[in-house]
Amino acid sequence: MSEYPTDENFTIRYIHPAPRALVFACLTTPEHLTHFWGPAGMHTPVQNIVVDLRPGGAFETTMVNNHSGDEHTMRAVYVKVDAPAFLSWRETDSGVLTELTFVDRSDGTTEVITTQRGLPPEMRTPAARAGWGTALERAADYIASIATKESAS
Amino acid sequence: MNVQDLAQTFGALADPTRVAIVATLAHGDATVKELTEPFDLTQQAVSRHLKVLEEAGLVSRRVAAQARPATLEVDRLIEVLAWIDEQRRGWLDRHSRLEEHLRRLTKDER
Repeated sequence: MSEYPTDENFTIRYIHPAPRALVFACLTTPEHLTHFWGPAGMHTPVQNIVVDLRPGGAFETTMVNNHSGDEHTMRAVYVKVDAPAFLSWRETDSGVLTELTFVDRSDGTTEVITTQRGLPPEMRTPAARAGWGTALERAADYIASIATKESAS
Repeated sequence: MNVQDLAQTFGALADPTRVAIVATLAHGDATVKELTEPFDLTQQAVSRHLKVLEEAGLVSRRVAAQARPATLEVDRLIEVLAWIDEQRRGWLDRHSRLEEHLRRLTKDER
């Protein structure tokens, strides 16, 4: 496993309407995972989910396409398990590391902080090409404006 | 595109100066000399950054007399950014389905 020179892809914070122990159980129990694991347009039958909840233990899900029946298996190994506060796993194909932090908000709700680190197994060319081009243009304009200010001062 | 290549791409973009150079090249090709001015860097420093970007496949260098202007390989960058965005949206969808699942569970208990 090579050391990745860079780190975070994104962080998502999401507040769930349930106590921490239940939210943690949902993300670590096949009977729960089957209800929401997804992704959209696919389902993950309960018998297709392997959870061996300990560091080095397997986490595997085989998702089935609702229309074509095509299957996609995600194979991962748990890195750190600290119920009900923290959970992380690394995908064996790509090395992508997913970390989940569960924060008890003391009002019956739980904040889950999802962070993903690492690299994709394969790249697809997105339809969003034009959008990113615009983002780069904006970045370029911003930098040009800073440069102008600096040279004026 | 293999994982090793992508590791290099991510690594190259982990530096704010290199991201800024990439954003400048999005405007059009530029020579080392043209890149030293906005960033207040020496030509050696710019050359080093360009070399990292080049090795990551984000920039290519055209031979044009002595100047060798740098060109942004924008498709490469877009692939990486789009993949990250797709992953992020996938997790948001998953959390939203989990929220529905939790609401059903807690309703059943009442």
